[in-house]
Amino acid sequence: MANSLNHSQEHHHEETFLTKYIFSQDHKMIAKQFLFTGIFWSIIGALLSVIFRLQLGWPDETFPFLETLLGKWAEGGRISNEFYYSLVTMHGTILVFFVLTAGLSGTFANLLIPYQIGARDMASPLMNMLSYWFFFLSGLLMLSSLFVQTGAASGGWTMYPPLNGMRNTAVNLGSGLGTDLWFFSMALFIVSSLLGGLNYVATILNLRTKGMTMWRLPLPVWALMFTAILGILAFPPLLSAALLLEFDRIFDTSFYLSDIVLGGQLQDYKGGSPILYQHLFWFLGHPEVYIIILPAMGIVSEVLSVNSRKPIFGYRAMVYALGVIVLLGFLVWAHHMYVTGMNPFIGSIFVIFTLMIAVPSAVKVFNWLTTIWKGNIRLTPAMLFALGFVSMFISGGLTGIFLGNSAIDIPLHDTYFVVAHFHVVMGVAAFFAMFAGVYHWFPKMFGRYLNDTLGYIHFYGTIIAAYAIFIPMHFMLSLPRRYYTYSNFQTFNIFEDVSKFISIFAIISFLLQILFVINIVYSALKGRKMKSDNLNPWNSNTLEWTTPVEHLHGNWPGDIPHVHRWPYDYSTGFGDEDYRPQTLPLEDGEEAH
Amino acid sequence: MFNILLTLFVISLFYAVIVIFAKIIEKLREHKGEELNYYKLNKTHSILFLIFGVLFFAFFGASFKYLEYAALPESASNFGSQIDTLFYVTALITGVVFILTHIAMFAFVYLYRGRKNRKATFFAHSGNLEILWTSVPALAMAVLVVMGLNTWFQIFPNKKNLNEADTMIIEVTGKQFNWIVRYPGPDGKLGRRVISKQFITPDNELGVDWNDPASKDDFFASEIHLIKGKKVRFNLGALDVLHSFYLPHFRLKMDCVPGVPTSIGFTPVKTNDETREELKSNKYWSSIDPETGEPRFTKFTFELACAELCGKSHYGMLTNVIVEDETSFNKWLASQKPHYSTLTSQKVDKEIKTDSLTTSMDSVLSKN
Repeated sequence: MANSLNHSQEHHHEETFLTKYIFSQDHKMIAKQFLFTGIFWSIIGALLSVIFRLQLGWPDETFPFLETLLGKWAEGGRISNEFYYSLVTMHGTILVFFVLTAGLSGTFANLLIPYQIGARDMASPLMNMLSYWFFFLSGLLMLSSLFVQTGAASGGWTMYPPLNGMRNTAVNLGSGLGTDLWFFSMALFIVSSLLGGLNYVATILNLRTKGMTMWRLPLPVWALMFTAILGILAFPPLLSAALLLEFDRIFDTSFYLSDIVLGGQLQDYKGGSPILYQHLFWFLGHPEVYIIILPAMGIVSEVLSVNSRKPIFGYRAMVYALGVIVLLGFLVWAHHMYVTGMNPFIGSIFVIFTLMIAVPSAVKVFNWLTTIWKGNIRLTPAMLFALGFVSMFISGGLTGIFLGNSAIDIPLHDTYFVVAHFHVVMGVAAFFAMFAGVYHWFPKMFGRYLNDTLGYIHFYGTIIAAYAIFIPMHFMLSLPRRYYTYSNFQTFNIFEDVSKFISIFAIISFLLQILFVINIVYSALKGRKMKSDNLNPWNSNTLEWTTPVEHLHGNWPGDIPHVHRWPYDYSTGFGDEDYRPQTLPLEDGEEAH
Repeated sequence: MFNILLTLFVISLFYAVIVIFAKIIEKLREHKGEELNYYKLNKTHSILFLIFGVLFFAFFGASFKYLEYAALPESASNFGSQIDTLFYVTALITGVVFILTHIAMFAFVYLYRGRKNRKATFFAHSGNLEILWTSVPALAMAVLVVMGLNTWFQIFPNKKNLNEADTMIIEVTGKQFNWIVRYPGPDGKLGRRVISKQFITPDNELGVDWNDPASKDDFFASEIHLIKGKKVRFNLGALDVLHSFYLPHFRLKMDCVPGVPTSIGFTPVKTNDETREELKSNKYWSSIDPETGEPRFTKFTFELACAELCGKSHYGMLTNVIVEDETSFNKWLASQKPHYSTLTSQKVDKEIKTDSLTTSMDSVLSKN
């Protein structure tokens, strides 16, 4: 801490364009880099989904413009089945890893951790910069895989072997170079995630300002710390899984392969098990969904409390719930594997742990609802998105109770019910929290406000479109996912109209997000300016609103403010205003929390 | 190309109009010298949010009503009805929570919308409430776990409790992109398979040992025929990549894994004809199929699908499943020819050397 203090007081520090905007080590700039890279990836990811929704909604029709754009992948104006599988694979990969992991955590951990704990910067600004650039490189590899001749990875975002475990593309085995690039990209991504995560934890534990005890941390910081811990523990197994799979692909080892018959020829693989990969993958894969949803929960807790003008209800319970979710998050991975033929007894253990997660989740939901109860609710776009998150989290969380119960999972496994479930609970919900965060902290990031009219249009449009897509999708509960067309089966052909309906709203939803991007770019350049006499537009208690509009290296021009209370003293009855910033010492008779 | 550019232009124009509209509102406010007044906006948006809430429930209800036709017919297996019951119990519990929490949210936002002279109530903690909403969900989950595991262990019983004396055995093997269905024939025993290059050839992908007496009456079928009320066990496997044996009408699914044998057993309880009768009253199934000119239910049959991504034609792995009474089944059985009888004698005897049999004993997949 002493070091970073001295550093900020040396004002002769000269910045070039390169060090300020590109290889920046400043957490605020890195947050913006993550945000814009995340936005880039979400547009790509969403665009891919629009293309495959055209195929799913209108399987018998042709769209000549697709051939113009995609060439051999859409001959005759209809995308090929191979390309369809590339699209769904890349859509999943991009949104899960590049947008909802790096985009969400990267943006808000970088922005909020130093600001809210009262630190000049991250513990290691260099590692922080490297974290972004490894992420960037990983993205570059993934992007390049979209342009290789044999196509991008097409074996599903989970990359199960044997489909993705051999390079013998002649016999329909996944894809060639695209899959290798996928794994190399993922290895770099894991490096980025570990560099970031270690840094976040170190910063939170060591660089808190005077008076900022752990129990005075705002909830986003708690959530981001738990997220970082999850990432540090869960990503390495994925790296080993990916390496072993690449060995199988490149050196013909048999970690995941055994007794494979291709074209009537027994292959030389012996003794491996495809199930092993699934265990290793889901040991990351399940914590991964908490890596996505925990920061979202933290952001929403803060936004709900500030805009209800009320303390978050059950602050400690919220922290304990996060902790329990982290712990249980590591004990439930095999609920993705109930029908792999695993020992039914082991399955039953995972049922118990999985349904146990409903308890801390329920606590969180009820605490959020109690937070808005008897508040004085200010319906900013950020607040509406936070409420939208709560709704999505309830809807999607409840369908998880069906799927977590192994017996019900037998028919529902790998159907559109699952697709609807996880899109609502970790896709749309996490996006809503991200939107809430962007609307809420945009003035802090850019010194300007987002246009609120566009914000309201964005909110109502998106929540209507999202539910119009995903409520009907729950009713497609017999249709297996990853079907290029369902017309071969009488049983599934029944969903033709529903599919069309969903596709229409998917396109509407995509167009609405473009409006949001326009709002961001436009408002960052030309939006309503934040005035220097109103540094705290939402009347919030946390420390980030005590910094000046202009971004300074080191955040605060003078000393770092000291903290005297927890961050949720809203409407306490003390003082003239309905908020008591953390920097304000306790008055006589005021109770500490 | 021109069309694409034109469409992009129209869309951009559309965005421009919205952005200009939003900017004008902002400028007007600035012009009047007003700061953004959320007390004014709160009123509008609490009402809009409430309207959204009403629409939300209406849409949810309408989905039930309109999409009812898309539900599967009643389960055709003994376990299916149990799973369905479990599904409905879960739906009831979660449905109550879903409706109550959403009503609370929409109501709170409306009732406690921010007003200038209102003050929020400071309420930061309540031990009793926390205990209440930790214990009630825990209790509800406990009930669901007990019910769920009860069904789970019936579907996948402990090996000791397995009583399969009167069970029909069928072997289904997934490959890109179809299912290989092998029946044991009258002896009820599947001929053994040997995983070795000796036995596995393009003509004999499964590596069936045609010298094994049990294999002599085995036959391959293009459809799966089952007897109503008779237990069946499917021995599952895969040749190349993962597949998943999925019978939607029976509510059952089990992965097929190369190198790892799996199985699933159940009792079919409804024939195709009975299901056809049931579907007569369904909106979709009673409608006329434009291709045949007949109501769709007349062509109804149970279907086996693949539920694990297995390559580019994953969506085409269809095999029909027919549940019938014993007489019809026997009639079908009589029409099936043992595969052995179709093999030319040279193919069978020449290829197999006795010494290779003993060395590959440990890699025998299923002996039955």
